[in-house]
Amino acid sequence: MTTPLLEIEDLNVWFELPGGGELHAVRGIGFELVAGERFGLVGESGCGKTTAMLSIMGLLPPNASVAGEVRLDGENILARGEETVSRHRWDDIAMVFQGAMNAFNPVQTVGSQIEEPMHLHGVAEGRAARRQTEELLERVGIPRDRADRFPHEFSGGMRQRAAIAMALACSPKILLADEPTTALDVMVQAQILELLVSLAADFDLALILVTHDLPVVAQVCDRAAVMYAGEVAESATIDALFHTPKHPYTRLLFAATPDLHAGGERVASIPGAPPRLDQPIIGCPFQPRCDSAFQPCATVTPLLKQVGEHHVAACHLNDHVRAAQTA
Amino acid sequence: MSASIQGGAAATEGVDVSAARRPGSIRHVALREPTAIAGLAIIAFFVLVAILSPILLTGDPKEKVGPIFEPPSPSHPLGLDGGGADMVKLLIAGTRVSLLVGFCAALVSAFIGGAVGLFAGFYGGKTDVALMRMTDYVIVIPDIPLMIVAAALFGRSLTNIIIIIGIIYWTTTARLIRAQVLSVRERVYVKRARALGAGNRRLIFKHILPQVAPLLVANTVLLVAYAVFAETFITFLGLGDPSVISWGRLIENAFNDDAILNNAWWAIIPPGLCVTLIVLGATLFGQSLEDALNPRLRVGHLSVRRFKVRPLRGKLDSE
Amino acid sequence: MRGFDYVGKRVLFAALTVFVAITLNFVLFRTLSGDAVSALRCRQCTQAFKEYQREQLGLDQSRWEQYKLYLQDLAHGDMGKSLRTEQPVTHELWPPLKNTLAMVTLGTVFSIVFGVLIGVVCAWRRGTWADKGGLWSGLAFYSMPPQWLGLLMVLFVAGWLGLPTAGIKDPTLGILGDASWWAVFVDRFRHMILPALTLGLVLYGEYALVVRSAMLETLGEDYVLTARAKGLSNWRTVRTHGLRNALLPIVTLVALSLGFIIGGSITIEYVFSYPGIGLEVVEAIDQRDYPILQGAFLLLTLAVIGANLLADLLYFKLDPRVSG
Repeated sequence: MTTPLLEIEDLNVWFELPGGGELHAVRGIGFELVAGERFGLVGESGCGKTTAMLSIMGLLPPNASVAGEVRLDGENILARGEETVSRHRWDDIAMVFQGAMNAFNPVQTVGSQIEEPMHLHGVAEGRAARRQTEELLERVGIPRDRADRFPHEFSGGMRQRAAIAMALACSPKILLADEPTTALDVMVQAQILELLVSLAADFDLALILVTHDLPVVAQVCDRAAVMYAGEVAESATIDALFHTPKHPYTRLLFAATPDLHAGGERVASIPGAPPRLDQPIIGCPFQPRCDSAFQPCATVTPLLKQVGEHHVAACHLNDHVRAAQTA
Repeated sequence: MSASIQGGAAATEGVDVSAARRPGSIRHVALREPTAIAGLAIIAFFVLVAILSPILLTGDPKEKVGPIFEPPSPSHPLGLDGGGADMVKLLIAGTRVSLLVGFCAALVSAFIGGAVGLFAGFYGGKTDVALMRMTDYVIVIPDIPLMIVAAALFGRSLTNIIIIIGIIYWTTTARLIRAQVLSVRERVYVKRARALGAGNRRLIFKHILPQVAPLLVANTVLLVAYAVFAETFITFLGLGDPSVISWGRLIENAFNDDAILNNAWWAIIPPGLCVTLIVLGATLFGQSLEDALNPRLRVGHLSVRRFKVRPLRGKLDSE
Repeated sequence: MRGFDYVGKRVLFAALTVFVAITLNFVLFRTLSGDAVSALRCRQCTQAFKEYQREQLGLDQSRWEQYKLYLQDLAHGDMGKSLRTEQPVTHELWPPLKNTLAMVTLGTVFSIVFGVLIGVVCAWRRGTWADKGGLWSGLAFYSMPPQWLGLLMVLFVAGWLGLPTAGIKDPTLGILGDASWWAVFVDRFRHMILPALTLGLVLYGEYALVVRSAMLETLGEDYVLTARAKGLSNWRTVRTHGLRNALLPIVTLVALSLGFIIGGSITIEYVFSYPGIGLEVVEAIDQRDYPILQGAFLLLTLAVIGANLLADLLYFKLDPRVSG
């Protein structure tokens, strides 16, 4: 098996709350990514997936503390916090943010903002940078002459494309895309997703797609992890998640979607609410809403266990599976 | 955190701080802020002095009790002014007048501004446009020159000064109240009341006004600051009521009596300090009230301080 | 042409406001200064003379006629004659106007520089002592009556800095032979510093607050997060993305505070005996020289309207999002 490009191990993120106390937003998650792979991170709003993404790039606010390792090509880039992680920004790991509409500074042209990281990281200067910018814009489906326009002159979909072009400015190895298609209409959504897939192939990019939208994950990703309350509930290939889920949350999530390939369907809600993250969680975090909870669930925290090939899940229902524990 | 699966979380998801601030509990939130308490304390102090002034003062504060510009001494802690009168007594007398002008003028402004804002916001349409146009024009005219000119033309009684100050400062209040009324007007219970056949007057007084009142109060406190400030301008230029003593008057006296030449800092500093303190106090208090009513949270992405890294603590189950 | 609508609307509004200001000016003064002549400090004036004056001022005609006359005169740049010196008002007011403009400009420069510096520092070090200190000091100075601060300056700062505290000229300059252009300039400038500094101190607090707010809001914007994600250092992000966006509100704020600047400068000029428009206003009040007062007031109002228009247009130029 090829060495993973990115390895997340036991990543934890805490936020200090203004009134005292801490919010434990990410509780020891881990996964791996190989070059060129397309990986999905799925979950409800508030489950910690965006925070996890931001911490990979060290884009956390000052009231945050982080623990765990984020290994890029074997090196832990989180070792000394901002110092070590900032070196890899955009050059190795780039991000397309949720609501890319606002990723652009309204008083500067789009082109100049795409060129900015090129200058910064010494990838290109002057005319060369300009040419590369135009090529990138073309590649994402925007006419070259738009480089001198301001963000407010672009439609939502085009701004999303421009944000993707900007993310690719320094030819990163990994692209993090946080809800890239939310707030776009269905037709544009499909186009953006196709664009991401083809870009990943052409640029040999590893892609982590964060979303709550299951059809999106189905269309784009090979593997995915399902997060709940700051933890990984289950991680497997898309196929396995759909057809043989080993965690009730996954099953309920996916079962609620009538037709996975129809696209654009809003997922129905599971009754109840996720647990509060500013207090310790005893037992399985999903237990209060779980339809298959039984005796150990309320008191014993389930660990992530291997339940199949490239398939892990954290649920007591799988306890009979005596395979090696996965960290 | 919502039960349903929906997108659109902010960058720092999971951090729900907004619960701490809710419009209904302004008093509680505002009174917990140290700045608000400080402001209120200052105002309360001066109000107390003003109320107690008849007791604290015996005889005419302007009475000459010693040589002019005598430095502070045990019997006269703040020395004597250019007419030989005790500074402390003068200040106490001045407190009463300055605060009186401040509060009354603020009330006048609040009344006018509140009324304009209320009607403009409630009736909308042509009334709104007309009132706001008028407000726009009034805003552009420089306030202090207008006050000075009006004071020069209309004579120098205290009442006139109060009125003049009052009719100049109502514009920001009007805008603020109008915005508030517009938002309240659309709320469900107002619509319900209207559907039930409530007349306009009832709607305004029973439903909208109570919602708007807290903001009006907060704004009035700020207006007091403006008014006290404005009074010092008027009196300093000799346009004040010659028969009353106010802080502004004391500063004017100091100037006219050449306090500077006599190095009589005790005649100059205290009155101005009092004005500064009241304005400061009113601004602090009024601002925290307003903030409590219109809380806005800001998430900063940029800061000199960095996020922290903790050493690896072990696996999930050992926490 | 981009935003022709916007510019057009703004100019129109300004013109209308000017008209309203002129009319207000007329109403305020003419209808009330019917007694101007009788209130003149004119002990030996005969009734005939007073009649003559009345006729000169056009006070014997109907209000409406007076109004038309007033507008006509204004169109010709005629604002009447000073009652005191018999010179045309425009003539009398021009030198003081220049003085005031110079001093107020210097003061505004001070306040903007202080305000931006302190505002940025406060936003930068949000929540720390630097932040609180900056805000508090700004608020403290803002709460001080300008004339009082002026007096304090005279009392404590003038001697220490060796600056003059009255007027605009050193009366001994040029007596013993022609003073050089440079010496005159320096002399004028030195006389302007204290009043301008007083003005600057009183104003900067508000600017600092606005800059701080704008910076904080800007710093919370997504494009700042993007900049940080792209690898920009804190400093570069602030400089290229934060500052420009945050400075836009300052433009409008300066225009909005012009009313206060002008008002404050009146009392400051009085304290420092600085021969500007403010001092003219005070003296005119004292001597009931109504034409001067009216002219000065009109000029001041026009200045504020003009500055507001300028700020609008400037904002329009700086912010590409505004398209009318």
